[in-house]
Amino acid sequence: MKRGRARKVFIGVCVAPAVILFIIFMLIPTFNVFKMSLYKWGGYSNTKEFVGLNNFKILMEDKNFFRSFQNTVLLIVCVTVVTMALALIFAAILSREKIVGQNFYRIIFYIPNILSVVVISAIFSAIYDPNNGLLNSIIGIFRGSDKTPILWLGDQKLVIYSLVIAMIWQAIGYYMVMYMASMAGVPESLYESASLEGAGRIQQFFSITLPLIWTNVRTTLTFFVISSINLSFLFVKALTSGGPDGATEVFLSYMYKQAYTNSSYGYGMAIGVVVFIFSFGLSALVNFVTKREPLEF
Amino acid sequence: MKKKKIFAALLAAAMTMSMLAGCGNQDAPASNPGSSGNDDGSTQEQQSEQQSEQGSQQESEQGDVQEQVLKVAAFEGGYGSDMWHEVVAAFEASHPGVTVELTVDKKLEDVISPGMKVGDYPDVVHLATGREAALTETLTKENALLPLTDVLEMTVPGENVKVKDKIVPGFTDTLATNPYGDGVTYYAPMFYSPCGLFYNAGLFKEKNWEVPTTWEEMWALGDKAAEEGIALFTYPTTGYFDAFTYATLSSAGGPEFFDSCMTYEDGVWESENATKVFELIGKLAQYTEGTTVANANNDNFTKNQQLILDNKAIFCPNGTWLPGEMKDAPRADGFEWGFMAIPAVNEGGAGCSFCWFEQMWIPAAAENQDMAKEFVAYMYSDEAARIFAGSSAIQPIVGVSDYLEGDNKLFYSIYDNGATAVMGGFAATAPVEGANMLDTLCGTVNSIVSGDKTVAEWQAAVEEVSDKFRAAME
Repeated sequence: MKRGRARKVFIGVCVAPAVILFIIFMLIPTFNVFKMSLYKWGGYSNTKEFVGLNNFKILMEDKNFFRSFQNTVLLIVCVTVVTMALALIFAAILSREKIVGQNFYRIIFYIPNILSVVVISAIFSAIYDPNNGLLNSIIGIFRGSDKTPILWLGDQKLVIYSLVIAMIWQAIGYYMVMYMASMAGVPESLYESASLEGAGRIQQFFSITLPLIWTNVRTTLTFFVISSINLSFLFVKALTSGGPDGATEVFLSYMYKQAYTNSSYGYGMAIGVVVFIFSFGLSALVNFVTKREPLEF
Repeated sequence: MKKKKIFAALLAAAMTMSMLAGCGNQDAPASNPGSSGNDDGSTQEQQSEQQSEQGSQQESEQGDVQEQVLKVAAFEGGYGSDMWHEVVAAFEASHPGVTVELTVDKKLEDVISPGMKVGDYPDVVHLATGREAALTETLTKENALLPLTDVLEMTVPGENVKVKDKIVPGFTDTLATNPYGDGVTYYAPMFYSPCGLFYNAGLFKEKNWEVPTTWEEMWALGDKAAEEGIALFTYPTTGYFDAFTYATLSSAGGPEFFDSCMTYEDGVWESENATKVFELIGKLAQYTEGTTVANANNDNFTKNQQLILDNKAIFCPNGTWLPGEMKDAPRADGFEWGFMAIPAVNEGGAGCSFCWFEQMWIPAAAENQDMAKEFVAYMYSDEAARIFAGSSAIQPIVGVSDYLEGDNKLFYSIYDNGATAVMGGFAATAPVEGANMLDTLCGTVNSIVSGDKTVAEWQAAVEEVSDKFRAAME
């Protein structure tokens, strides 16, 4: 009896630091975000005015917010689909095929992930430069250099895709390495028997590799949602500052703008709440939709 | 076994303690920064040693003078930070017992605002309005500034002139110093700079062109230059259109009209005078260099400024810091900076130039308000003005522009050549969620140039946002 109690105390003491840290750095700030979204407050003075759900009411009529919502969803979908497809293909090639300089490619693909987003933005600024950028120079070979240059960062219909390209370039290496790690765990014997049965490489990929690394793919989907929301802020901040004329404004850049430069901290927090619920909901939905019976090998 | 458990428990406890200690430590030094501390010794030996050294030094120097610490935060603009250190040293020398803790930074908002959120305010802040982080505007909207009316009545330290008599007339009468439009000054006007159009004077000589003085001549020049593959106009970012629109609004309808625009009067943006300005910018958009929009962001705006140096565009709106900003950039042969006011909007009217100036203010939550006011008053002393002018930072003090040399003389002489000085900015209101006047008025220019929006849509949007701010003004 006495021993059981001592054991409980012991467990409690061991768990306490983590729990306290979690409460201080996760629960209380999150709670505060929710609380602040109900106030009209500039961020500095003591004049906080409780306005109930008014911030959310304004939010529902804010066209700029919906524009940032659309942009974010577009980024999440495009970046996830393209990055996942490319990362899977590259991972399968690098782990299944015998290619000279495999490790070299692996490093090359991973490098963008080590670079800071600001550096990547500077690189892409140079690539997208309308007059002597890499992209327009290459395209100029085919369409003639006397045409009006394509404004990768100036055309409002194009600029969001310019961001997509930069984000995909940045993310591929990371997910490729993750997929490669789990592909390495798939037993060689399965592939051997499959090829004896006459299955081609593509069939092997869809019938053996993909199902066996499915749990890993599911996990990365959640990563995709979260990192697209987070990274898009950094890219927008460094590459376009939300411009031209708000065409690349995303969730977090709009929230930042409202909270820190438009003196409406409470409104910014209301956007934060929507982002929180949206990313939580989307991750849950993705998780639910992709649920499969895990395969053992 | 048991020993091991006790050991583990101890470890866990130690971790909890250290974590709590880590949290607690943070505000210990912040709460009492100036005290000469021999207090909790051991861990902060170096720091306390330094502090006590400082303390004893001061004591020996000043005898019975009361010791004060004044926290000054200053934005490091294009003029550099040296002048601030010099001015603070001069202030300390003339005010025995006062120690100034100076913070100078290019991203001043990021440095001081975390402290301000927990109530640790600087006593004096030098930070202009119109910056991206809008800290000054936020504090204004929150009514967190100290009125400076009595500073204007103070005598300048070391001299026998009142502050208000030293400031050039007109500088404390606008919304740029009296943000609520009620005649009470909250911002002290500091370094000013005329904004206008920069161009390559060498290009005009080479091509035998006349510098245009009216918009008619401007369009004619634009057509002529287009044949040679040179665009008439470019802009660094749309942020520079604030000065441009303010000046043209005032030129179109006079100072009173400008004030009613800045105070969100009903229908003012759809009036005849405002329409002239919108249409003017709409036409200018057609003469704008093709790649300008793609580079009009914080990363690439210098590429747009480079267009002037490379003779690919003729005019660029900017302030007098431009030549300094581009001083290391390559340039066309025979390049020479030229600077002119914006031509009059109405035929026969005077040219106009927005006068941009930086502001100094005292937070209402400042601890040391009397000394802060003394510091602001000291800024207008000849001693301080000379130090600032040494770094070409010119204050609106009578006679200071005489200290200028070279290119700067040309820039500051713009008003001597008949151009009207326009000063001010949008009146402060309560925050309006989701609406931003400058974003709508200036940011949309990108869409006008790229053809994504029409001038009429733009004008309607500005009026709509203005309506929201009018409602928030009361």
